[in-house]
Amino acid sequence: MPKTSKGRVLVAMSGGVDSSVAAVLLQEQGYDVVGITMQVWDYTECDIEEGAGTCCSSIDVDDARAVADRYDFPFYVMNCEAKFKAYVIDDFVNQYLQGKTPSPCVNCNTYLKFDHLIQKMKELNCDYLATGHYAKMTKDSEGRSQIVVSHDTWKDQTYFLFTMRKEVLPYLLFPLGDMTKDEVRKYAEDKKLVNARKKDSVGICFVGNQGYSNFIESQVSKDVLVPGVIKRYPTGETLGEHKGIHLFTYGQRKGLGLDHHEPLFVLKIDPESHVVWVGDESYLFSQEMELVQTSWLDIVKPEEKVRLKIRAHHEGAWAHLEQKGDRTVVKFEIPQRAITPGQAAVVYRDNQLVGGGWIL
Amino acid sequence: MFLPQMMKVETASLLKEKVYLDNNATTFLHPRLREMVPLWLEHSGNPSSIHWGGRGPKNLIREARQNVAHMIGSDILEVVFTASGSESNNTILKGVYFQQMKAPKPRRHYLIGAVEHPSVLVTSKFLESLGAEIDYIPVTPEGSIDLDVFKSKLRPDTALVSCMLANNETGSIFPIKKMAALAHDVGALFHTDAVQALGKIPVNVKDLGVDFASLAGHKFYSLRGVGVLYQKRGTSFESLIHGGGQERHRRAGTENTLAIASLGFMAGEIKNLQSYYENMKSLRDHFESQVLERIPNVSITGSLSPRLPNTSSLVIEGVEGETLLMNLDMEGFAISTGAACSSGNPEPSSTLMAMGLTRRQAQSSLRVSLGWQTRREEIEAFILCLEDVVQRLRSFQNTGNYGEGEYA
Repeated sequence: MPKTSKGRVLVAMSGGVDSSVAAVLLQEQGYDVVGITMQVWDYTECDIEEGAGTCCSSIDVDDARAVADRYDFPFYVMNCEAKFKAYVIDDFVNQYLQGKTPSPCVNCNTYLKFDHLIQKMKELNCDYLATGHYAKMTKDSEGRSQIVVSHDTWKDQTYFLFTMRKEVLPYLLFPLGDMTKDEVRKYAEDKKLVNARKKDSVGICFVGNQGYSNFIESQVSKDVLVPGVIKRYPTGETLGEHKGIHLFTYGQRKGLGLDHHEPLFVLKIDPESHVVWVGDESYLFSQEMELVQTSWLDIVKPEEKVRLKIRAHHEGAWAHLEQKGDRTVVKFEIPQRAITPGQAAVVYRDNQLVGGGWIL
Repeated sequence: MFLPQMMKVETASLLKEKVYLDNNATTFLHPRLREMVPLWLEHSGNPSSIHWGGRGPKNLIREARQNVAHMIGSDILEVVFTASGSESNNTILKGVYFQQMKAPKPRRHYLIGAVEHPSVLVTSKFLESLGAEIDYIPVTPEGSIDLDVFKSKLRPDTALVSCMLANNETGSIFPIKKMAALAHDVGALFHTDAVQALGKIPVNVKDLGVDFASLAGHKFYSLRGVGVLYQKRGTSFESLIHGGGQERHRRAGTENTLAIASLGFMAGEIKNLQSYYENMKSLRDHFESQVLERIPNVSITGSLSPRLPNTSSLVIEGVEGETLLMNLDMEGFAISTGAACSSGNPEPSSTLMAMGLTRRQAQSSLRVSLGWQTRREEIEAFILCLEDVVQRLRSFQNTGNYGEGEYA
């Protein structure tokens, strides 16, 4: 393949409309495109409707290949099932069993897309790695690469990219960063891409229609899922029983199986005693939290006021950060509702992605 | 010598064209067939029709059958056309099993080559689920079959032995003639999957002494969708596809006239096999000696046993076969890491594992398979490209990491 002036780019293609448009756009801009799909999960094992807007099912692979074939660029499927199982699925299940609420998409980015594929990029003699993420690459005043929030702030996916290693940044391209989702769809329709009208992926790709609790039950042996009691905070009164802590998430209100006259919320899930504590909504608010396994693209000093997102679609809240040993203590300006253990907390300076960590 | 027309494509490779070195996966259509197919398309009637519409196609099939019979040294009536090599293999294994089941004292033991094509291995697993007793014939690390071991596995109740004439991955040629004789000593039938041998070495069923053989058109420069099942006169099997009386009730279904005619045409071309054989063998040997000389830590699997003239199965240490394949593809070279049917499967080749290679070695394997059309310039260009890519990929692996500073 001739190397053109813009270089060769490896495009991670899920088969969805976003990454397909990313690939076609890059080719239009003069890059040599090589498409790659990571097959991460054997979808014959679960009840996900094929092509129903999840990543990488076999129909989705066919869609990605169809786009590659039409635009005549090389396309490969890489089997990453073992790595995905080890780093994404197992962690997802374990987090729930520890009473936490995981963010599997971040792990997929950390351990597969921006680790495995960066390696592939080198091995396939490519100069860049591109994905269909809604995020923007820019350079600061000193010419250093940085990731900033995408033009389409509603679709922005920088939250899922906080574990990015700094040294990878110069190799990344996010061609959709300046587009809205509607523009991406319109582009796909204009080009008559096979997946132009495919539904957006919603929820967790490998869980599908069965719901996450059924998924977890299918992945572990029965004896791991221990029943327990539901207690009221702070009185300690037993309100009912449950069939396993994996059925609960922090802040949950519905589906507690309690017949109670006032609204109750999950406040604490104890993996040791298997007690699920519920109580008044006011206990969900907290002004402080601790982050572990933090990852930084830039330095944040304690006096600097930064904005944090504590879940994917959080509007962001102002806070100060302070390092205490290997933990980062976050002090919010105003109390935040449902700071959920296991979720990612992602730090921004204006629109710039600065880093983040996992909520303890 | 011929060059498939589709190969004139602009690429950056040294030859400014794409090079196809995956002829064990499939072969490209012989250029003469492009001239012949339009003529055969005139005969679109049903060969079974009594009226004028049936005569032309019926005649085409008759000529094809004559050519195939002549090619493999059989009688005309011993040639059954099927849709693929897989269908032929399925038909023999299941057909013999069903036939046995009708006997008062059925033989239940089946002896299957350890490195057979999935259409044999998976079918034998199916027969096992029906009650057959399946036993496997091991291969040595050199890729050959020990006749004493084979003999010791034969039993008075062995119904059928199925062993390929040549292996698709390593090109190893098995001693079918001797094996068939041994099998007949215990009254067992013998089937050979000769799909990979056709067009590379002579395939003469009478000389081999087998009862059944399978062939496929697409491995032999013909159109896809046609296979051959050779059935020795006097043997019988239960048909897999019941229906009309086509192929003397052995395979129902209106014949694929066009594909059958193309295979028949190619059977006529077998007269030139010797020169193709020599060309492929000298290029393959040149390739292997050059690779061993230029690239360190490469071994050739099964090179000490009789082999097909076109196949080279390499283990290139420290390089992942799939990554190597992708890089070569981007440079315009089509090769494979193993059997085409298992691509995308993370499991390493079961054939190579059966030959005693480690998992790691099997994952570092590369299969190069030449065709009648392969030219010296193509092989020279491939050697240079392979050397280049292997060197580059090994340079990453030697550092032990792919990042951390390297691309900072």
